[in-house]
Amino acid sequence: MNNRMLSFAKRNLIEMSRDALSYIFCAAFPIVMLIIMSVVNASIPKEAGMTLFRIDNLAGGIAVFGLMFVMLFTAIGVAKDRSGSFLIRLYASPMKSGDFMGGYILPMLLVALAQVIISFGVSMGIALIAGYDLRPAGLLLGAASLLPAALMFTAIGFLFGTLFNEKSAPGICSIIISLGSFVGGIWFDVEGVGGIMEKISRCLPFFYATKLIRSAIHLDFGRESFWIPLAVVTCAAAVLTVLSCFVFRRKMRADLS
Amino acid sequence: MEYAIETRDLTKRYKEKTAVDRLSITVPAGQLTALLGVNGAGKTTTIRMLTCLSKPDEGSAKILGHDVLAEPDAVKKLVGISTQDTAVAENLTVRENLEFMASLYLPKDRIKEAVENTIAAFGLGEFEGKKAKLLSGGWKRKLSIAMAVIGEPRVLFLDEPTLGLDVLARRQLWREIEALKKQMSIVLTTHYMEEAEALADRIYIMIDGRIAAEGTLCELEKLTGKKGLEDVFVTIAEGAGNE
Repeated sequence: MNNRMLSFAKRNLIEMSRDALSYIFCAAFPIVMLIIMSVVNASIPKEAGMTLFRIDNLAGGIAVFGLMFVMLFTAIGVAKDRSGSFLIRLYASPMKSGDFMGGYILPMLLVALAQVIISFGVSMGIALIAGYDLRPAGLLLGAASLLPAALMFTAIGFLFGTLFNEKSAPGICSIIISLGSFVGGIWFDVEGVGGIMEKISRCLPFFYATKLIRSAIHLDFGRESFWIPLAVVTCAAAVLTVLSCFVFRRKMRADLS
Repeated sequence: MEYAIETRDLTKRYKEKTAVDRLSITVPAGQLTALLGVNGAGKTTTIRMLTCLSKPDEGSAKILGHDVLAEPDAVKKLVGISTQDTAVAENLTVRENLEFMASLYLPKDRIKEAVENTIAAFGLGEFEGKKAKLLSGGWKRKLSIAMAVIGEPRVLFLDEPTLGLDVLARRQLWREIEALKKQMSIVLTTHYMEEAEALADRIYIMIDGRIAAEGTLCELEKLTGKKGLEDVFVTIAEGAGNE
């Protein structure tokens, strides 16, 4: 990493940290959802056997849900830069395409990490209040397992921010947030429902991201529950990162042609 | 003589339209050169090609001897640009904007000094802790130019730097541009004839992507038999239009 990339990453981090909306969507909203769904969970009779919103399952789901907002803010940041003159000024500077890519992606990984720490911290609090056993080792592993998912969502945001303008990028991301949380099994048990729904979910990386984090929190290292989701999410993150960087580089070249 | 800019048959086309048509100019180093023309004359396109923001379709351009196509990295280290729109990071403070730009061009140990000097030179001290988005249009424009200058470019491109500013802010910016003339070669595009008259050592008038006339104000007045740049410009522009 060179100085220019780090300087640009710092600039992007500061820009985001001074936008009140990023706190609302990246921190407050997931926390509110954690609390609301925990209240919902408390209202579900034990006989129903519904454990999806129990804090040990909910914590992982909400962590993935929160990452979707990291995707949204990555897209907004990139699209906003692309629509203004600031990026033109940077294109005329000695910055290389790699500096832009790293500068956009790195700070969002930090934001994702901060978000996970906050949401897992709140989850610990809820677990203590509700009397559930949420193991710190599981949360630590869950946080580490989130890294490929964080990269994957940041890469999707980077891709959308590059392809779409400031107005359409947030809309496209909202569709991904809705669909991703739905087929990702955050709000209902995809495997329990089965059928075509499960088949669709298994074709997309969101399902595996949620499954991976939940398994990590439970310290469940099964092939189906941990290793395969880890492999799928890591591959998806790698492919989407390469794709988003490729598209950004092409767009940059087109802008400079 | 060292030339800040040398172009030969520089051409840029956008589909059917030829924005810059076989432009051949030589701009001596250490001067302020004004590039005048009506909207769509090709001024901004020329600047974009000279700052590696756009690739020429034909011809060549050199900045201090470095070819914009063959040596873009070298050219980018030598040039600074202030675009028509103020190009600042809105949520960063004035100081942070300057620190960021300085970090792209200068070694770490020189950034602090460069920031202090630039803040002092542009009188930005009062606003250094203020976010760029909260500055008035004039101060934002001033910050934008300061950001173009902080990397210590040898050739500075100012694309309509005083567009939309009130007369006082414009005059203040003139003084700052005048001071910069001692340190670097400057290429200025503007629609304000009095601005070019006050600041430029040499003037190029572009019509339809070509240079219609060039010279000092005196030379252009002699050429057209008119007094003052506005009349000179109108005569040349209308003359070219009637051809």
